[in-house]
Amino acid sequence: MVEPLISARNIKKHFDVGVGMLKAVDGISFDIYPGETFGLVGESGCGKSTAGRTIIRLYEPTDGELYFNGKNVYKLSRHEMQEVRRNFQMIFQDPYASLNPRMTVEEIVGEPLDIHKAYKSQKQRHERIIELLELVGLSEEHANRFPHEFSGGQRQRVGIARALALNPKFIVCDEPISALDVSIQAQVVNLLKDLQKRLGLTYLFIAHDLSMVRYISDRVGVMYLGHMMELANSEELYENPIHPYTRALLSAIPIPDPEIQRNRHRIMLEGDVPSPINPKEGCRFVDRCPYAVQKCREVTPEFEEISEKHFTACHRAGEIMRGTAKTTK
Amino acid sequence: MEKVLEIKELAVSFKTFFGEVEAVRGISFDVGRKETVAIVGESGCGKSVTANSIMQLLPMPPAFYKGGQILFNGQDIIKKTEKEMQDIRGNKISMVFQDPMTSLNPTMRVGKQIVEGIIKHQHLNREEAEKKAIEMLDLVSVPQPEKRVKQFPHEFSGGMRQRVMIALAMVSNPQLLIADEPTTALDVTVQAQILELMKELQDKMDMSIILITHDLGIVADMSDKVVVMYAGQILEQGLTDEIFANPSHPYTRKLLASVPRLDMDRNESLHSIEGTPPDLYIPPKGCPFYDRCDNAMKICKDHMPDKSHHSNSHYSHCWLHHELAKSDTEGSK
Repeated sequence: MVEPLISARNIKKHFDVGVGMLKAVDGISFDIYPGETFGLVGESGCGKSTAGRTIIRLYEPTDGELYFNGKNVYKLSRHEMQEVRRNFQMIFQDPYASLNPRMTVEEIVGEPLDIHKAYKSQKQRHERIIELLELVGLSEEHANRFPHEFSGGQRQRVGIARALALNPKFIVCDEPISALDVSIQAQVVNLLKDLQKRLGLTYLFIAHDLSMVRYISDRVGVMYLGHMMELANSEELYENPIHPYTRALLSAIPIPDPEIQRNRHRIMLEGDVPSPINPKEGCRFVDRCPYAVQKCREVTPEFEEISEKHFTACHRAGEIMRGTAKTTK
Repeated sequence: MEKVLEIKELAVSFKTFFGEVEAVRGISFDVGRKETVAIVGESGCGKSVTANSIMQLLPMPPAFYKGGQILFNGQDIIKKTEKEMQDIRGNKISMVFQDPMTSLNPTMRVGKQIVEGIIKHQHLNREEAEKKAIEMLDLVSVPQPEKRVKQFPHEFSGGMRQRVMIALAMVSNPQLLIADEPTTALDVTVQAQILELMKELQDKMDMSIILITHDLGIVADMSDKVVVMYAGQILEQGLTDEIFANPSHPYTRKLLASVPRLDMDRNESLHSIEGTPPDLYIPPKGCPFYDRCDNAMKICKDHMPDKSHHSNSHYSHCWLHHELAKSDTEGSK
């Protein structure tokens, strides 16, 4: 049995917003194994980005434990944290906002090296930067340029080079391709996959594009309003979704094939995602769920394994799986 | 089919400090009654400029029409004065924009924004207009419309705001609706609701739609006809089924291969398109896709290929389909 690289246990992140507590992440648990890509999907406001940031302790967690190599990262002191932080990196969504416009590419990629004093001489630093740029498909000639001289896809490559500078083990990719054109998205995804193979990286891939997540991830977790709704291997999740929310989410993605698309049955959800401020007890999805019963309003369902390595939080999961569940709306 | 809109050899440029940017370079297509035409392409390919020039919403200067015609019900829109245009814009042709967060006035009650449009275009009095505004919100399935008209945009969610935008566009039963990335800012489950709503309204109101999007899934879902744009030109055009089943331009093929599909094997690698589109300050003489095309040949660099027809409704601009090239389609660079 392979030991997980990251184990998240009951992680919570609440924000005090004056009128109440915004429970962005409200008790999620999962493992990420070395060398795999764990996809985290959900609609805007479901807490997936907050989860990503809390995991690498960019946000101080409200509660929970995070084990990395057997150590609880949340208990470490500031100084110890800096050591561990080398292993965690992040790639951000917006390649326009995440690079300092006044720094050259060499300065941007070199910054983590400076902070962690990861070189012995200036020559070594420069060589490392060039090596990193080449790794992501750029070259030495780009080193002295500024971010505005690059296209979106190239900027994202600079962001990736910076994330790789300290040889991290674990990278949180927070919607790394959402801001890019389709043809460029494929370039960046192929690069991420290739780097994973070559450097043995482990990814947490956060996105709302479900077809891309299926393509890149080994396992996928679905979040809704701060809770994890379902988690399974990506084939399993996309072929046998159990949770009514996952089912609706998957059926809402338009497939780029007119013949399939015309004959598909779409599960239409009513309404929008409710506010995460002071959420009520019970299943978070209850107001939009076609299968909701009284119990769903009163008791928050446990996150349970319903078939091998397939977890879901739904009171009616068993019935839905056997196909005997009737809608209540 | 009756044609609502015909665009003929339309060219639009922008004058800038550095020179002229040829954003749209001689495109032609038409939109039939009740038909949905999708325009697809990457950012900067000229799809939004095309939409805005139909509505005459481009700031002039720097933009100017370089040539061509936009015939709406047989009349050339380009020749219309601003006064005449006001009769068409928001009345016979309406537009829904990408970002429902910024396209409503945040300081004005939603009802009032709709009433404004109704009074302007339908010459109803205020009381009738207010009644109509509630009807319109009801039409786009906004719950409790009587209460909602009194609220401000920030009290609406993204999906609800987009419904308001659609209600605004529907006020005067437009013949043509231009939807510029109408669901890009929305979540997938809400996107599904909005697309369904647009189809329903199209049926009810006998309306044609020009849909601008980069999401090929939405294209497959919504459109009857597809126009593939690249660097200000149309590289391929055809019925939706033809484009998806039998894409004939290398760009279209690569575009289709670069999106992962839910029914695709995970071990298949995505086909990325290397490089970036050309700079339209100095548009290439030949095929604009030359630099990124795997099948590029010598002739592609200097000469733009003519149309090759694959059926009555389907054509593409590519030398591979030239009658003399038919025997050897495996080009090389």
